[in-house]
Amino acid sequence: MPNPLFVAKSLLVSLVLAATFTNAAAHADTRIVQTAYGPVSIEGTPKRVVTLYEGALDAAIASGINPVGAIITRGGSDVAEYIQPKAKGVGIVGTPGETNIEAVIALKPDLILASAQLAKEQYNLLSRIAPTIVPNFPAFTPTTWKQETRLFTEALGRAETGRKVISGVENKIAEVAKLVDAKLGPDQRETALIRWMPQGPLVMSEGLFSASLLEATGFNVNSGGIVKEGRPHSHPLSQENLGLIDHQWVFLATLNADGDAALDAARESQAFQRLKANRADQVVTVNGQLWTSASGPLAATEILNDIANTIDNVAADR
Amino acid sequence: MKTYRNYVATWVMLFLACLASLLFGAGTLELGQAFAVLTGQGTEDARFVVMELRLPRLVIGMATGLALGVAGALLQTLTRNPLAEPGLLGVSAGSAFAVSLAILLGASTATLTTLISQVGALAGCGLVVAATRIQGAGQDPVRLVLAGATLTGLLLSLSSLLMLIDQRAADEIRFWITGSLAGKRWDQLTATMPSLLLAGAIVVGVARPLASLALGEKVAMGLGHKPGLIRLMVIVAVALLVGGATALAGPLVFVGLVVPFVARSLAGADIRKTLWLCLPIGPAMIIAADTLSRLLVTPSEMPLGVITAVIGAPVLMVIIRARRIPAL
Repeated sequence: MPNPLFVAKSLLVSLVLAATFTNAAAHADTRIVQTAYGPVSIEGTPKRVVTLYEGALDAAIASGINPVGAIITRGGSDVAEYIQPKAKGVGIVGTPGETNIEAVIALKPDLILASAQLAKEQYNLLSRIAPTIVPNFPAFTPTTWKQETRLFTEALGRAETGRKVISGVENKIAEVAKLVDAKLGPDQRETALIRWMPQGPLVMSEGLFSASLLEATGFNVNSGGIVKEGRPHSHPLSQENLGLIDHQWVFLATLNADGDAALDAARESQAFQRLKANRADQVVTVNGQLWTSASGPLAATEILNDIANTIDNVAADR
Repeated sequence: MKTYRNYVATWVMLFLACLASLLFGAGTLELGQAFAVLTGQGTEDARFVVMELRLPRLVIGMATGLALGVAGALLQTLTRNPLAEPGLLGVSAGSAFAVSLAILLGASTATLTTLISQVGALAGCGLVVAATRIQGAGQDPVRLVLAGATLTGLLLSLSSLLMLIDQRAADEIRFWITGSLAGKRWDQLTATMPSLLLAGAIVVGVARPLASLALGEKVAMGLGHKPGLIRLMVIVAVALLVGGATALAGPLVFVGLVVPFVARSLAGADIRKTLWLCLPIGPAMIIAADTLSRLLVTPSEMPLGVITAVIGAPVLMVIIRARRIPAL
């Protein structure tokens, strides 16, 4: 026979505990995330998200949230082609360099996800519209996209999904790396990522998102030291210096819908014809929107698919 | 005798510029290697750089400099204005706008681009001549340039508008519109050559009547020339030359200003003498500027248009600040 007093006490304790937990649950709905412009507090699950950065759009959709507004991709007039089917009906609120603040206001967002490059003045305007998340991680490192995806999904209240998505991509990287290992010897993996202009190549930084994935899967991205500190995206190269990027592989990013047309155009140049990669038929045309502008877990998956297909073709040829 | 010396000096300058253009570049190719190619030896790589990369640029640069220099001299004599330069007056911008429009609509063949560029230049020329007919602007050289700057600004902003419409085309236009000789191919030159030759033939025929027109309409009519016809021929020649040059190298400003200015200061105002001197000076300026463009920011290249502007802008200042703008 239990002591009635003890029962009462236990009941009280459980009540208090229950109350504490409920309270904790209510508080768990308010998250504080660390951004470039200080801690930002977000309540509940955001319903109307505007992304001012391709990596943020990608992370949001990957974690199951469809933003109401986004910016166009570089070299396009809409969001990047790879994400269009998943971002149907998204409103366009600007370009990577310029946000149309009025368009953002018109969408009545309850959360804004921006890029690390967002200027203070822009931030001041945007944060008056809705809580604005600006990442503050070192740019152009292989882990930047993971850190950003974690931050964005946390702000979206989807931290758990975010973790799963990231580890999914990590597994995929390991898979593709095995493929590369199986098909290419260690001395057959040197490559450059370029775009071809009639004047000559535009060499993409080794720190670019897609280049870091090439590296992670075992390719050796070598841009010949052309892309300097402070110009982290790309740099033009004189045709007289093609030796700097004359590697076994060339990934040729193109803004044309038709990759073959871009390759034909590049082949009109005698300098391009002389490239080792061209003579060995190891120029891989890839979508410029995906490979030179996008970032995030969904983009990673697509890029890894491109790399895997490239390796599969190697097997077919040999 | 002095004129004779000047002729020789300008041709020597051109020769030196050509030599420098073949010997120096953005590449890692050594000077000795490049020189070996010129003497018929050299490695395969060296031969490729000199013969396939630098030589086409040299020849296309010659054609461009020739066309722009002669076009500038013609336009200045026609409008009696030493500042009447195709680049400053909107002729180049007109042809650049036309080409931008064509790229947007999907044009890519060199032949088509040349024709479109020339049509654009013709429209630009027409506007310039119309502007000289406006009371005031025609008499005051600087006001004509202001009118031209306005037109250039308008056309360039329209070109920017085109770039906003289609980002892919924007990319092609952006690289072309700063002006460059990099990556030019022989077939682009062959596509432009016929119209440049036609323009050359017109210039030969029209030089003497134009010189008499420069002495006044009555003098020209007294000598049996038709001023209206002369004007029309000159405009057509300028449009062919500027349009051709723009199709080849993009819109280059100031070349048509600097070249005739130097030629006149060596030979005087007579258009026939000026034209002879423009033949070596125009190519020499473009080729020297193009060689510089390869040396300044290795391993990449500076846009040629930037260099010609840097050379040309001070010359414009000098001409305007001179106490008396020489009447033509």
